[in-house]
Amino acid sequence: MLSSIKAKIIIFYMGVFFLALSTLGAVLYFSIGKIVYDSVDASLLSRARALSVLINDNISESGSRASFDFSEDITREYGLNAGVFFQIRLPDGTIVKKSNSLGGSELPADSEGGGAVFETAFLNGVPVRLINYRMAVEYATGAGKGHVAGGRRAGLIVQCAEEIRGQLKLLRSYRIILVGSIVFIMFASASGGLLIAGKALAPVKDISDTVSRISEANLSERIKTEGIPGELAALASSFNRTFDSLDMLFRRQKQFAADASHELKVPLSVILSHSEIMLRRERTSAEYREAFKAVMEAAKMMSETVSKLLASARLSGERTELRLEDINPADLVCEAAGLLGPVAGRAGIRINGPERVAGRIRGDRAMLMELFFNLLDNSIKYNVSGGTVDISVRNETDFVVTEIKDTGIGIPENDLGRVFDRFYRVDKSRSRDTGGAGLGLSICDLIVKLHGGRIDIKSAPGSGTAVSVYLKRAPDDAEA
Amino acid sequence: MRILIVEDEKPFAYILKKGLEEEGYAVDVAYNGEDGLFMAANEPSDVIILDIMLPGVDGMTILKTIRRAGVKTPVMMLTAMDTLADKVTGLDGGADEYMTKPVLFEELLARIRALLRRASDTKTSVIEIDGLSIDMATHGVKIDGKDVALSAKEYALLEYMALNRNRVLTRISLSEHLYGHDFDLDSNIIDVFINRLRNKLESGSGRRLIHTMRGAGYVLKG
Repeated sequence: MLSSIKAKIIIFYMGVFFLALSTLGAVLYFSIGKIVYDSVDASLLSRARALSVLINDNISESGSRASFDFSEDITREYGLNAGVFFQIRLPDGTIVKKSNSLGGSELPADSEGGGAVFETAFLNGVPVRLINYRMAVEYATGAGKGHVAGGRRAGLIVQCAEEIRGQLKLLRSYRIILVGSIVFIMFASASGGLLIAGKALAPVKDISDTVSRISEANLSERIKTEGIPGELAALASSFNRTFDSLDMLFRRQKQFAADASHELKVPLSVILSHSEIMLRRERTSAEYREAFKAVMEAAKMMSETVSKLLASARLSGERTELRLEDINPADLVCEAAGLLGPVAGRAGIRINGPERVAGRIRGDRAMLMELFFNLLDNSIKYNVSGGTVDISVRNETDFVVTEIKDTGIGIPENDLGRVFDRFYRVDKSRSRDTGGAGLGLSICDLIVKLHGGRIDIKSAPGSGTAVSVYLKRAPDDAEA
Repeated sequence: MRILIVEDEKPFAYILKKGLEEEGYAVDVAYNGEDGLFMAANEPSDVIILDIMLPGVDGMTILKTIRRAGVKTPVMMLTAMDTLADKVTGLDGGADEYMTKPVLFEELLARIRALLRRASDTKTSVIEIDGLSIDMATHGVKIDGKDVALSAKEYALLEYMALNRNRVLTRISLSEHLYGHDFDLDSNIIDVFINRLRNKLESGSGRRLIHTMRGAGYVLKG
């Protein structure tokens, strides 16, 4: 859950909100606090000043000590209200005077410092705001400003205090409201974020649902790309492209397996039926011989199909090693034609050419031999009696082109594009009169592709077929 | 019983024909689609064994064509095409049976027998007619519980008549179903077989099973 994008978005979202809101809350809280304290402090200060003026007004000296007289009405005036206090201390801390409201208790002694110092203290457990106001004492008589209490500079500490229970209560409720609002906003924004994240991620869920529905058995389904936001549409269409190629791959694989099994089933059924029917009763040796012959032919066919399948699988494998050497295609096709001479002779077909041409290529001799052999074999097999096979070799700028042209039955136009497919045969009946499993041309195509070349086929029914093999010239082969 | 095999794989067609003939069936073979279509439409076969991939006309086309033309002969598809779609297409196209290669001959025989039974509205492989019992699976024939030894052709004739019991069969139709079209035989040969059958079935028990319908042919009934 915590690793999901949605959770991450929410957590991030809430973190940012929390930071912003709590900063704002703290600023608001402390500024309100300051305003509240400032107003209390201002009234305390003005009261302390007033007291100091009154003190200076009626100070007197008696012996070594300065003394002053507070009329009771002052004491009353400034200490009447419960919750408002004052107290006068000498610099040594002795309390000279205090308001009636203080009763038996006293305000705490001030810390060091000059001028007016504010602090928050507790008086009998009740929070008070306190000012320690240091005043200079002016003598009404004698040598003006002088020394009090043994030569120290004269001064008194006026302490005024006021209960701030109400203000603190206000601040506390303010704090509660702030925290409450922050929590509420956090939750509201979290659910809003959840909604937004859910909406933003809905197409992602759609995509993942579709992807998980698509399996080998159901490769035709695709992710719908309309209505998906741009960022995800690219993802969706690249998924779809991947599925397209997977689909094609699976289809081809299935087709291949079906074709391969078909190719093997036909001879297999010959073998099986012969064996079974022969074993149903006693036979003459002639019957057995005939059956064995049929079985052998079928087995040969299977073995040929299997070895071609293996060759084809090997050639289309990832790493096919070519034993490269310098080869003259004209020589090689000549050699292949020589091998097929007797076959052509029996079929009443004449092989012409090729003329010696000097072009060289780099290639695997055994593979290219198989290539030319297969192509020539086809041009004989699908030829007509009395026909010809013309071989020519020519050099082009980058390629040595070997052309094998026959006067055979040709290939219909709509079959031309598929003749290189494995097991594809123009004659759908797969009749074995002409032999072959439909693997020859696909193997030829693989061989040429491995050599970085290509095969072109031109054909029309009745007018023969021309196959051109383009093989790259060796890099050091001089321009002819 | 006469069977038409339409199959382009010659060694397979050959051995199938041989095996079926040894079972007493008359067998015709067509090696390509055109011949197959012509023979399926015109020869009086009791079962047609039809491949799908054929040179010329393919098996599915043959099947649909003869079905459209009203040919009701049971058709067994026998092909290497083994996908579900192929089977469904074949059966929906009018085939009565769909078998895939490679096939075991024993099973093929059993399925042919089943097709023949179905065509004659017979439910089991043993036909009983008034004390006569014919086991189509073993080719065993009994009369009142006693085994009767018949030759392959005698058996084939009896089986055909039993599957078409109570129906008058002409000499021509009997010989057509007993022999492939390669045999151009005088239909009098049927009289010879009928006589042999009567001797073996009726002489011991004194029953009349095979009745002669003058000018028409023969009928097997209890």
